[in-house]
Amino acid sequence: MFERGKREDGLDEGADFKSAATLRSPESASPKAATRSDEWAVIGRSIQINGDVRGNEDLRIEGDVSGTVELRNSNLTIGKEGKVRADIYAKSIMVDGTTEGDIYASERIVVHVSANVRGNITAPKVGIEEGAKFKGSIEMDQGAVDKALGKAGLQAAVKPVTDSTTGKSVDTRAAQKNVVKEAASSANPSAGVR
Amino acid sequence: MGRATAKAPMDKPAALNAPLFHQLIEQLAAKGRSVVLDLGAASTPMLSLLGRSHCLVEIADLGCDDAIDRLNAEAPADVLVTLAESLLPRHKAGADVDFVFCWDLLNYLKPEAITVLMRAIVARSRPGTRAHVLIAYSDRSMPDRPGRFVPTEDLKLVNHAAPAAETAAPRYSPELLRRIMRGMEIEHARLLANGMQEFLFRVKR
Repeated sequence: MFERGKREDGLDEGADFKSAATLRSPESASPKAATRSDEWAVIGRSIQINGDVRGNEDLRIEGDVSGTVELRNSNLTIGKEGKVRADIYAKSIMVDGTTEGDIYASERIVVHVSANVRGNITAPKVGIEEGAKFKGSIEMDQGAVDKALGKAGLQAAVKPVTDSTTGKSVDTRAAQKNVVKEAASSANPSAGVR
Repeated sequence: MGRATAKAPMDKPAALNAPLFHQLIEQLAAKGRSVVLDLGAASTPMLSLLGRSHCLVEIADLGCDDAIDRLNAEAPADVLVTLAESLLPRHKAGADVDFVFCWDLLNYLKPEAITVLMRAIVARSRPGTRAHVLIAYSDRSMPDRPGRFVPTEDLKLVNHAAPAAETAAPRYSPELLRRIMRGMEIEHARLLANGMQEFLFRVKR
């Protein structure tokens, strides 16, 4: 169901945000960007998910996702084949496919020419490529972004977990590593993978 | 709006000096954080410009899909009003619109459709809200689809729309616009170098 892919999206901590063209989708990444060794999780194009998708690693969606997508400190790419009907929370988000729902990013959101986005965008930096379809509102004010992300519960996406038997806090990183996989089948009672 | 005829591809579009657009952006900068309704498509230069004033930007993109045809369709007024409201971004409570950018979209709407659209816009605006409009005026023809106007750093406008066939321009007069843009009044009007009339409307108090 989930594939591992070489990171080719050009989402780089040091990337300079000047225009939508600064960040490229995996399909259009430069050869230089394609040499990055980082990995990402991929929801393949034949996958349909109804429910919440949460995690702590970069994710590319080529399939069909309905519900909520929360990637607290990670980057999300919605590929050309991707269809997401969900509110989305991530560090950075690139859209090449179709989304319907509100999109929140703590760093930036880029809507590429092939994208069709319906919903509100909240991020301090937003790029819309010429020819992209977008309808909704765009909020870039840092104060409003912080407020929206706080209200959206982004901080709660990965909260400290206490061991019920010892009462001590536990490291959630390992548990979160595969949380995307778990979410597909059991994180939400109504969630399911068809 | 008329019979389209073929037109040869144009050279690189020239930057258009639009004083009222310039004036509106200066007003916006002086006001600070505002709610902006853009009836056209989103562009990174426009977002960058509005981002400096920490604006909330609502993008309607009425030039895409079949929004214009649907607004121009024969239908009861109440149906058209509902349609116009649905074509605008979801209105956030407490976020009344301060500035509206119509670009050249009104040239592609019938008078009845303009009235309905403006009614929906005025309903989400406040007294004094300003709307910038470009109307094909001198030329008898215009491109058969709306432009994609993008501001330059010095606040001129460049139309990035691909070359298009020509169609008859409705050449709406100020008198007609006064009648059909109910709830608004003309604050300023200027004839531009490209033959378009640039208007600044204001929502009546």
